[in-house]
Amino acid sequence: MRATESIAMEKKVPGRHSVRNGLLHCCRIVGMTLTLALALGRTASAQRMEISGTVTSTAGAPLAGVTVRLQGTDTATVTSANGRYSLNGRADGVLVFTLIGQRPVQAPIGGRTTIDATMTRLAYLEEVVVTAYTEQRRADITGAVASVDVESTSRQTGASVLQRLDAAVPGVTVDASGSPGSRSTVRIRGISSFQNNDPLYIVDGTPVQDSYINWLNPDDITSIQVLKDASAASIYGSRASNGVVVIETTKRGVAGPPRATLRVRTGISTPVRGYDDFLILDALDYFEIVKQSYLNAGYAISEVPSNIYGNANSPTVPQYIWPNGCTPNPCTGVDPASYSYPNNLIMGGSAGTNWWDSVFGTGFVGDYNLDVAGGSEETAYGVSFNYFDQQGTAKYNEFKRGSIRVNTEFTRGRLRFGENIALAAERSFGGIPNDDTGEGGILGKNILMQPVVPLRDIAGNFASGKAVGLGNNTNPLKVAYEGRDNKNKNDRVFGNVFAGFDVTPQVSVRSRFGFNLGQSAFAGFSPIFPENSEPTFTNSAFENTSQFSDWTWSNTLRLVRRLSEHNVDLLLGQEANAGNNRFISASISNLLNSDRNSRYIQDALGDANSKDVFSTGGRSALLSFFGKVDYNFADRYVASATLRRDGSSRLGASHRWGTFPAFGLGWRLTKEPFLAESRVFSDVMLRYGWGVTGNQSIPAGRIVSQFGGSRGDTYYDVGGTNSTVVAGFRQTSLGNPDLKWEENRSQNVGADLALLDGSINVVVDVYQRSTNNLLFDPRLPATAGEAAPPIVNIGKMKNTGVDFSIGHRATAWNATLNLSHYKNKIVSIDGEKDFFFGPIATRFGNQVINKVGYPIGAFYGLIADGFFRDAADVASHADQDGAPGRIKFRDLDGDGQITAADRTVIGSPHPDLTAGLDLGMRWRAFDLSGTVFGTFGNEIFDVQKEFYVFRNFSTNVRRDLLTDSWTPENPNAKYPRLDVNDTRSKDISSFYVEDGSYVRLRNLQLGYTVPSSMPRWISIARVYVQAENLFTITGYDGLDPALPAANAFGPAGDVRDQYRGVDRGSYPSSRTFSIGLVTSF
Amino acid sequence: MKILSKHPLLTGTALAVLAGATLYGCKDFLTSAATPQGTLDQQTLANRTGVEGTLIAAYRQLDCTTSSGWWGCAASNWVWGSVPSDDAYKGSEAIDQPAINDIEAYHWAAGDADNYLNNKWRAVYEGVVRSNSTLRLLKQVQTVTPSEFSAAEAKGIEGEALFLRAHYHFEAWRMWGNVPYYREDDTDFRKPNLTQAEVATELLKDLDAAIAALPVTPRNGQVGRATQWTAKAYKGRVQVYAAQYPAALTTLREVRASGPYALEASYDRVWTGFQEFANGPETIWAYQASANDGEPNAANANTGDRLNFPHSGSPFGCCGFHQPSQNLVNFFVVDAATGLPASLTDANWNARNSALTASTLPPVDPRLDWTVGRDGVPFKDWGTHEPGWIRAPAYGGPYSPRKNVHEKSSGAESTVGWVPTQTNSVNMHIFRYADLLLLLAEAEVESGTLENARTIVNEIRTRAGFRVQGCGWTSDNKVETRYPGCAGDGRIAVPINDPSIRWATYRIGLYAVPFAGQQAARDAVRNERRLELAMEGQRFFDLRRWGIAQQVLNAYLKGVGGGAEENRRLHLRAAEPFAARHALYPIPALQVELSKVAGTDRLKQNTGW
Repeated sequence: MRATESIAMEKKVPGRHSVRNGLLHCCRIVGMTLTLALALGRTASAQRMEISGTVTSTAGAPLAGVTVRLQGTDTATVTSANGRYSLNGRADGVLVFTLIGQRPVQAPIGGRTTIDATMTRLAYLEEVVVTAYTEQRRADITGAVASVDVESTSRQTGASVLQRLDAAVPGVTVDASGSPGSRSTVRIRGISSFQNNDPLYIVDGTPVQDSYINWLNPDDITSIQVLKDASAASIYGSRASNGVVVIETTKRGVAGPPRATLRVRTGISTPVRGYDDFLILDALDYFEIVKQSYLNAGYAISEVPSNIYGNANSPTVPQYIWPNGCTPNPCTGVDPASYSYPNNLIMGGSAGTNWWDSVFGTGFVGDYNLDVAGGSEETAYGVSFNYFDQQGTAKYNEFKRGSIRVNTEFTRGRLRFGENIALAAERSFGGIPNDDTGEGGILGKNILMQPVVPLRDIAGNFASGKAVGLGNNTNPLKVAYEGRDNKNKNDRVFGNVFAGFDVTPQVSVRSRFGFNLGQSAFAGFSPIFPENSEPTFTNSAFENTSQFSDWTWSNTLRLVRRLSEHNVDLLLGQEANAGNNRFISASISNLLNSDRNSRYIQDALGDANSKDVFSTGGRSALLSFFGKVDYNFADRYVASATLRRDGSSRLGASHRWGTFPAFGLGWRLTKEPFLAESRVFSDVMLRYGWGVTGNQSIPAGRIVSQFGGSRGDTYYDVGGTNSTVVAGFRQTSLGNPDLKWEENRSQNVGADLALLDGSINVVVDVYQRSTNNLLFDPRLPATAGEAAPPIVNIGKMKNTGVDFSIGHRATAWNATLNLSHYKNKIVSIDGEKDFFFGPIATRFGNQVINKVGYPIGAFYGLIADGFFRDAADVASHADQDGAPGRIKFRDLDGDGQITAADRTVIGSPHPDLTAGLDLGMRWRAFDLSGTVFGTFGNEIFDVQKEFYVFRNFSTNVRRDLLTDSWTPENPNAKYPRLDVNDTRSKDISSFYVEDGSYVRLRNLQLGYTVPSSMPRWISIARVYVQAENLFTITGYDGLDPALPAANAFGPAGDVRDQYRGVDRGSYPSSRTFSIGLVTSF
Repeated sequence: MKILSKHPLLTGTALAVLAGATLYGCKDFLTSAATPQGTLDQQTLANRTGVEGTLIAAYRQLDCTTSSGWWGCAASNWVWGSVPSDDAYKGSEAIDQPAINDIEAYHWAAGDADNYLNNKWRAVYEGVVRSNSTLRLLKQVQTVTPSEFSAAEAKGIEGEALFLRAHYHFEAWRMWGNVPYYREDDTDFRKPNLTQAEVATELLKDLDAAIAALPVTPRNGQVGRATQWTAKAYKGRVQVYAAQYPAALTTLREVRASGPYALEASYDRVWTGFQEFANGPETIWAYQASANDGEPNAANANTGDRLNFPHSGSPFGCCGFHQPSQNLVNFFVVDAATGLPASLTDANWNARNSALTASTLPPVDPRLDWTVGRDGVPFKDWGTHEPGWIRAPAYGGPYSPRKNVHEKSSGAESTVGWVPTQTNSVNMHIFRYADLLLLLAEAEVESGTLENARTIVNEIRTRAGFRVQGCGWTSDNKVETRYPGCAGDGRIAVPINDPSIRWATYRIGLYAVPFAGQQAARDAVRNERRLELAMEGQRFFDLRRWGIAQQVLNAYLKGVGGGAEENRRLHLRAAEPFAARHALYPIPALQVELSKVAGTDRLKQNTGW
């Protein structure tokens, strides 16, 4: 028994494994850390002595989490956060230091009591990474696989790990709003589909499709690998066409007593920028805009509205803005005693309300983690606890999460089994939708309330611009305040149980059952708004709950053979996945008691007529078979081939199964004689990969036509009763029984270079991805009716790009630069049409188009050619209702008039280049590290200009409108002439399009590690201060160039990639200052 | 444990087999998850419930639905028939619904206008699709289960669906002229458009078929359904629109002589929220609005017209759209002596630029105060209209629309939805008997039988003078603060010479002598049509039909009767001169694009667009 075990156990030592070039270690559960070390010997009796020391990197940084083991025994420990360890050893023993990604170190004790060790990083190609179902040495990987430096991403504060991926590896972009817990839009190598382009996340082996992943405590994560091309990802065939992100959480124990690590970080956040930086704050300045707009339009000064500020020649801040037309100022006819809520409101005038400041301010954030790990020869465990609490920078907006994780593994001979389970509870509060902005949200037009409107009326109730000329906004603070009890609950159980068995040293089998159970509930309230220009006296309560359960069962068989220089690694597998969800929502209006404790959906509590209850659900299943073979000849030539077959319930019965092949070739040049002795190239690997991946991200059930209706759509009072309706039906969607897989073919050529003895690492990848049989629903002519058009497999899209990274590590500093570029192009739509519009239209129309030859989600409109100089200029130009100072549009089709036919593509939200620069340096016990992110060449369509430039709905406007609008003396102004009758300049045009490039210092951290020479009772090991989003360099004139993708859904699912880079008023990123400490005990 | 380690191969294999077998065993693992959730399939509806239900859905499409969006789909056609005419402004504020600014100012090629045009196009063709799916499903059910419907029922359903199909195509026809016509067996939805004349032929073909199939009284006694008389009346309407006057005379005279229709006794009962007056004798066909019917957002109420109420300071709260023009108000002034429109005799009838508020002079046609809300005049039973009811007077003028507003005491107001005070169950007339009579008068004029026309016009004027706006006092509407005599006087409609009237002098006279000639008769009929049907979404289509849209609308903007609208509402200075191309609306550019087959647009754009 012992002999057998020792062989098996030996293979678990990663260092040994990687030293033995060419032989892949044996089958192991995906998700297992390599830090598991089990010693075989029982405690010996003699020569015991306490040995301690510090483990550092070659850069001098203390290394935490290093397993220190007395060779040949089960005596082991793990270094603390300051790199210290101590254990009982024997004078003649040997200590083995191991840590993932580092070359193992062996140190004979030789009677010493202090043994410090320095560990060097493994050469890039020798690193072992978890890819698909297995671990692989980089030198054996022929696809494009990038590892995220988990250490550097931990410098960011946020609920979701996804938001930390930005700038972390080349080829990955992340968009998210500044709202705590908001959705992330992660895109790998461009965009391949009109539908959802979220990557597939594999968390501890279980696939997840989720744009939030807030339930996963980022601190639990030990490794993140991004599989970018098909040759790497096609083993996940069915859903891998947008790339795969493999996340491992295996913080597991090693033999020894429990060892705890506490990580605490607290800080404060403020918005990176506020509207008060550039909007008018003074009421009379605002009136100047109004006045000029009327005078320039030809109105007499007596015709300028005087109901607020009185005589336009001598405007004053009014005593009252409501009742309407209360002039002169101070006005006489208002009796404050007549105030009664909600029917007789009286609102004073404000000299200048700073609306931004009333809603946005400072938020607190705290992140607390405790993990405990330990184990014995046969049992290893890791338990972690997390509490995360982030207040938004907007009032009453908060996200909280508590999570518990338990990872255990048991070993019985050749059988290993265990489980990883995370329990998480999330709570988010506040009336602020996380990224579903638009004018109805706080950040849409509401926060652009005029400065003359007071925050509260004379009785202290919320005020608003009820009077003529004050627009139809809603008090944004009231929206936030009344939504303070709006609560979103999300509870999750996520994990898996697994068992693996080594049949022979070469053959192993493994089975894993993953589950993802969730339920969420939302309860909200909408108050009455009697103070609004468009008042509502109807309150309502609404709630919804949803539940889902999703399971994945995968079974694999692995065979590893080594025959002299031929190494073969074969993986065969089978996987089944099924999920279902159920959603129910309800609302009721006219609550008799609007107190939060009475906000339930019951007839007696409100108007039973307004009760609306709705439920829906979904089911889907996937069945898969796959195989992969890797071949390696003398570590010089590498080849791999993958084949996966997937069946999906979403697709047509006869097209249900898709086959996804891939292959890859690698050539390690440095193993060839002609380069073996090179002084420059210490390692060179060339790679080529080709493969096919699939996509079926469409709603279930679209293979058949569906019928339905609703009371407001198809029911009708045909009897003329005035109060009862007869049921009606219509076709709601057209089905397509021939739905099949969307296929993404990708090719990747890459090189991994280690230069100058590995001090410089370069990775370059060039790729092309083309998607065929694009799943989407091209619009039918309206003569076919309003039923959702069938989803069909039609259209092509192409992405080409380059990923590049270069890194250098020296003793005192290190730097890594990531650069990526992609070019997205729609090749064909349905062979007939060459465009379709984006999913969201704003007040002035649709500004996004998907057009053949252009990237997805391009901006579309007229070309603004500056301003009309004078009447002669107007007369000689195409007919467009022009006047001096108005925007002049280009007559593209030359028909002498400006029409919809003159629109063209006027911009693109896609960057030409994104860059991430990660820097670190160290001086004595201090370390300084930071990340800079940059995006270049992307454009932003600033829809907010509808409001803050064109004053749609009489919102507040930009301050520089006062000084930089067109006048005959200022013909090259920034803005057109102020003109209340100018209805054309606001047309969707390139005037709204701005350069969205920016460079941002994402984070900067200064740390101090308590030296190991300090007394041991100082358990605090490392303290740090850090700043996030400290500065931004941008030419963008709006609030924040880092925009989230809008929430956009079509009948065929998530279409947010058709609406990127449009600024409809987004929650800005936060500037966060925090302090933290890490300690072990 | 021991067994496991002793027989590893066995265990491994067993595990794999177990795993595989479990899944292979469930043959329908994928199939069972493929069924759509929460919807109906075609088979479930292949019966009486399905056929009747699809027909109901076809009726519902007469006005905006929860799936149609915006306001271009309104049953009243206020966006298309009223705002671009001399009756009304878009109203509200310049910045609200800016797309309608472009429609009002004849910038119909602008992108914003295109979105609205598309909204209307989609709404009418969805009506066609719903009508056609009823016909298809009916045929299918009759083939498979002939016993499901009696012959009479089947004919009735078929007739209603045919009639609805004709109506929706008529809507498309009067908007765009050259439109494609879709029947139940069409499968190519990219058909080319027909000419205007061809569409008229198709419309009449469908209406004749409907007349043949429909019963003379509404099926199931449900007043919202079309009958043979509805279809006959509609046929006459199409014939007048197609200038087929002799044929129209025949059709419309028959309806007048033998049909079930009559004028309401009092004008205030034509547009009303009182359930007892709804669907009276004057209703040929109306959109049956319903409120408090269990639809949580009042979507079956007056959805398409819900913006057309006085704004914030009023009891309705929102949103001040579709405001009557100064020109229209001036047009209601009558000659003090004859009680006939002042515009007939006074060259400066349109000179008044300021608000015509409550005043005993000049005398006005009583229909003014059933059509237009003006300051100081009782507004049904809501108290007097006040300046604070107007959203932006400099932009939209001082007046409010009235016909679509419910009476406070009618109980027609919704209790649910966004701003329930502007949602009611007032039916939208799609075709009413006075409209039919005036179409008949028009046909009489064009056929030279002028005295018949005079009789009709006088019949309409007589009714118009029967009842006028009264105090409409209620305990809380404070009308008595301005008119103390109104205290306790709850009458909404009173005789024309009732002493309680203090806000106006109402006069209306008849055409006492035969018309001087055909042109005079034509003018009288056309004037009467404007007065009678003002703000009902008809005016613009009438002007175009008469071929005088260019002349009248340019005069409206630039100056007629001593006044120019562009000097009253300065935003109208940006209007494009009404030109020949405005005779038809442009087909939505998007739909032209979507009609493309093999690189060629199947839908041909109208001339000039």
